[in-house]
Amino acid sequence: MAKHSDEQRLELLQGTLDMLILRTLQWGRQHGHGIGQAIRAQSDDLLKVETGSLYPALHRLEKRGWLQSEWGVSEAHQRAKYYRLTAAGKAQLSREQDRWAQLVDAIGRIMNPAPAVKP
Amino acid sequence: MRPDERDLDEEIRSHLALSVRERVERGEDPEAARLAALREFGYVPAIRDSMRRVWYGRWFDAGAALGHDMRIGLRSLLRAKGLAATVVVTLALGIGANAAIFSVIRGVLLRPLVNRDEDRLIYIRQTAPGIGAANMTFSVPEINDLRSRVTTIGAFGDFSTVDFTMIGLGGEPRIVKAGVVGGSFFDVMGLRPVLGRLLNEHDDGPTAAGAAVLTHRFWTTSLNSDPTAVGRTIRLGPRTATVVGVLEPSVPYPADTEIIANVVTSPHHLGATMVTSRTHRMTELFGRLKPGVSIEQARAELAAAHAAIVHEHPEAYSPKAAVRLTVRRLRDQIASPARTILLLLLGAAAVVFVIACSNVANLILARSVRREGELAVRAALGAGPGALRRTLLAESLVLCCGGAVLGVLLARPSVMVVARYAARFSVRALEVHVDASVLWVGAGLAMAAAILLAFVPRLPSPRAPTGLGLTSGSLRITPGTNRRLRVFATTQIALSFVLLAGAGMLLSTLVALQTANTGYDMRQVLVFDIPGPATGVAGQKEIDFYQEATRRISGLPGVRGVAVGSFVPWRDAGRFGPGVPFAVEGYTPADGEEDPRARLRIVAPNFFAVLGVPLLAGRDFIDADREGCEPVSIVSESVARRLFPNGEAVNRHMWWTDPYFGNRVLRRIIGVVADVDDENVIRGSAMTIYMPVRQIGHAGRLFVHAAGDPYALVPAVKRVIREISADQPVERAATLEDVRAEVLSPERLNAFVFSGFAGIALLIAVVGVAGVLAFSVSARTREFGVRLAVGSAPRQLLARVLGEGVLIAAIGIAAGAAGGYALARASAMVVPQVELPGALPVMGAAAVLITAAVVASLLPAARASRVDVVQALRSE
Repeated sequence: MAKHSDEQRLELLQGTLDMLILRTLQWGRQHGHGIGQAIRAQSDDLLKVETGSLYPALHRLEKRGWLQSEWGVSEAHQRAKYYRLTAAGKAQLSREQDRWAQLVDAIGRIMNPAPAVKP
Repeated sequence: MRPDERDLDEEIRSHLALSVRERVERGEDPEAARLAALREFGYVPAIRDSMRRVWYGRWFDAGAALGHDMRIGLRSLLRAKGLAATVVVTLALGIGANAAIFSVIRGVLLRPLVNRDEDRLIYIRQTAPGIGAANMTFSVPEINDLRSRVTTIGAFGDFSTVDFTMIGLGGEPRIVKAGVVGGSFFDVMGLRPVLGRLLNEHDDGPTAAGAAVLTHRFWTTSLNSDPTAVGRTIRLGPRTATVVGVLEPSVPYPADTEIIANVVTSPHHLGATMVTSRTHRMTELFGRLKPGVSIEQARAELAAAHAAIVHEHPEAYSPKAAVRLTVRRLRDQIASPARTILLLLLGAAAVVFVIACSNVANLILARSVRREGELAVRAALGAGPGALRRTLLAESLVLCCGGAVLGVLLARPSVMVVARYAARFSVRALEVHVDASVLWVGAGLAMAAAILLAFVPRLPSPRAPTGLGLTSGSLRITPGTNRRLRVFATTQIALSFVLLAGAGMLLSTLVALQTANTGYDMRQVLVFDIPGPATGVAGQKEIDFYQEATRRISGLPGVRGVAVGSFVPWRDAGRFGPGVPFAVEGYTPADGEEDPRARLRIVAPNFFAVLGVPLLAGRDFIDADREGCEPVSIVSESVARRLFPNGEAVNRHMWWTDPYFGNRVLRRIIGVVADVDDENVIRGSAMTIYMPVRQIGHAGRLFVHAAGDPYALVPAVKRVIREISADQPVERAATLEDVRAEVLSPERLNAFVFSGFAGIALLIAVVGVAGVLAFSVSARTREFGVRLAVGSAPRQLLARVLGEGVLIAAIGIAAGAAGGYALARASAMVVPQVELPGALPVMGAAAVLITAAVVASLLPAARASRVDVVQALRSE
């Protein structure tokens, strides 16, 4: 089942949860439980989103206009609240992706200084 | 789109459902899957709150969360109806009592008067502490002196009270209590008319036309607000006056009169004695501060002017009397008699509230022990201490709001009762009505109680093992909780003890007053007020009227004796002031010693026999003691004993030394009668000197000794008097017994109201003790089972529980006695009239409480002794 025990799981970096949610919804609408499961599955169980963080984050994004919610019925005939990206949300996602790339780049430079001379 | 409460719940529920489904699909047991999903999700209320907090502001969010908790609290309380009802009723009693008392206090002590610029209105009083005269009032020369010397006061207003026989308004001739005022009075008081005009400076002086103003109460209640009353001419005793207007509703002070007339209507006010005698004091004095002048400045200036006046007229102010002025705001002056009683009531109501709260705390504590499992589960799921407190607060808020609503409903009728009661002490209570302050007080008290109660139960410690057994198994009670329950029960007993002892003190005072030996025949003596006839008959004609009335009434069947007099015991208390100085032959006061003072009473022959007062020496007055014959008097035993310690009083002479009596007239003492005290129900020193009505006149009171039912004689007596003089009022018929009861009604009401409070307190305390013991017994079922199993007799268990109840009561009583003593000491600084109860009320209160504790313990004790051993042992 779980490929990693609790000790091996990674803490989410501050500010990255929003980006992960937006990214997850890029492929279509999903409900809260599904989003949590998707993040977990796609990270090979390394990332686990606590419901206590996930749901407030969903509502925060909806309030900012990046997500839109609607009630729907799941494939298992379970009523659930689905979230989808809005146009503003898509723009936000690409902004966050850029910033993320910059951040990874910047941190990477500090942690692994590049060779002084490029061939 | 903002999600609502239901939306959030739904979203969470669907998450859990999806999670469970997923686990079940993986092959987990459904029940285990449910628990695991819940555990994984976290503490639901906290997460729901954090979702909601995204949408709403922090405070709104906290309120909404509380509202949510309250709805849950309400639902869970509806499952414990008995407990909820007890708590709500208990709180309602506490809140209702406080809200009612507070409304009255607000109306009587705090609200401003209707008078214009009422904060500049002052009341000036002349006192003589040296001779125990709390209010000497003023004479006209004194007022004139103050007027001419004082600059801080813009204007003075004067008011004196007289009884007029009025004809011309509302049917029969009747005695009205009237105010007689100078022209500046209404302007100084800052009052307006609702109809016509008030009296002004043109109505002043002896040459003005007679004019009178009706008070609003008289106009509305006796005349049905008849607008044609204004302009009518009325007869006031020998004079006439025109009704010029109706006064606006205002606090009747210094006296609750029906009309207020100008000086010219009262011959007495125009007489030489009134105008020139410095010691003829019967006028109350008011002043209006000039703008910008503080009351302290006015006080200082008035005191200086008064000291100068005293210095200039040593003959009118004896050094021993220590005459001085006091100045206070009119508002404070009007409220002061009610202050003590209202503050005491407020204290009693506050004590009831504390008792109610501690009882409710007990119930809530007991309930929270039952809920410990639930709280532990919540804590284990991640609810922080704040969230747990909020859950508890929500529930106590629901309870306290219920209590407040019921309490405010109770307060409405109680305000009327308390106001009518307080009206005996301050006329302002008559205008008290229920207003929004009741609501605010109720709501405030409920909030205070709710917050207090939410902090009573201990929260489960997150470290402690959260044995699930707590939710399902039998109750366990920790020593800490048990101790707290007992502390609350003891508090209730202690506070009830204070109230019971106070009520006991008032009751024993009342009993002492009601059973005191007065020296009169109380049952058979009927008294009437027969003030001087309207036609202004005086002198010989008045005396002839008394003679004829006495003669004819004596002839009525069922009459044993008739006499006129001048003073109805107790009812007329204070009417003639503190006593008149006199001197006797053969007694010279030591240097610097004042002349002795005695009460002056005018009586007819046979008076002492009619009232049942024994004649100890000499003879009674006879018809021959008339004007033109030898002046005579009869003295009371205490006069004879004090002034003639070595000899006979009879046949010695006395004379009045007050200048009011003019030339010295020697009166031979012809008899000595037993002491009676017609000023105080409990007899004190009662130096009294009687003079014969046929030499003086001015009687005005009729005493009839009946053979049978005294009240059966009333119509016949009235008829006889009307036959002699059609204009003659005959009023206020009552037996001496009923006069005493009427005079004692404030004491009776005090005792009644305090007993009410004490009764409520006792009831709550009994519920509290019974509740604590019942709870402790039900929590110790197993212990009792074990005790029975190892051979304890059921009787021993019964005695054990009873003993616990008595112990709680005993500790409570000891604490109450100590606390009550300290409280009485402390409150004596604020309210000097506070006394400590005697031994009897204290013992009585203790006995009542011990009995109540035994009664309260009986039921739980009986249950403990009937514990089923097998079941008790199996229940774990």
